[in-house]
Amino acid sequence: MSDNKKKILEMLAQNKISADDAYRLLSALDGGDGRRESTSKAETAVKGKAKYLRVTVLPNPEKERSGDYDRVNIRVPMSLIRAGIKLTSLIPSEARDKVNLALHEKGIDFDARNMRPEDIEELIGALSDLEVDVISKSGESVRVFVE
Amino acid sequence: MKRPPMLMHMRIQGQRRGFGLWLPLFLLLPLALVVFIILSPLILMATIILWPSGWGKRALFTLRAAIEIFWSMRGLSIDVHSGRQCVSISVV
Repeated sequence: MSDNKKKILEMLAQNKISADDAYRLLSALDGGDGRRESTSKAETAVKGKAKYLRVTVLPNPEKERSGDYDRVNIRVPMSLIRAGIKLTSLIPSEARDKVNLALHEKGIDFDARNMRPEDIEELIGALSDLEVDVISKSGESVRVFVE
Repeated sequence: MKRPPMLMHMRIQGQRRGFGLWLPLFLLLPLALVVFIILSPLILMATIILWPSGWGKRALFTLRAAIEIFWSMRGLSIDVHSGRQCVSISVV
């Protein structure tokens, strides 16, 4: 609950304002919150146009100083991912059946044949919210995100 | 409109030696176009012959997909370091 709402309820409890006034003020506050929410959604939609998928593996700073470390920094354009997904339709049917079977064995019910262009767009859109951040015991940091 | 990649930079560094290479893709594009124009009658014939078996359609789709992938490579960057060794590829 916001501070403003608390203040309105306190004023109502102290009989400083009537129940009708409190209702109007609370409604006005809710409307303002709703507008703020819709604005933030619009901002997300504007900035949410993902361009690159980034994968970074950063070493432990101590190891980095010693020179014995692994570091990975990959940036893949989303358009390349989109083009790559379209290539699934080129997989021969025999190979595709094997892939589907292997996925099914792993518990993933996914058939590349059923993938439509709209699904690809939805998948790419959903990727914009992706963020994986893992720090291992040895201090290595693995990040997968979209920018 | 999407712009095609213009340059590819590769750098491979081993334990002792390494090398870097700038590949001017914008110079390869006209060359690829000329090769494609020269080979187009052959491609067309092969497509017509293979069409009934279904491979002709697949070959055309592959060609289109390959061009699309090449066009989408702008911005790709791969940078892998392991100790003193490193492989770096970037497309601009």
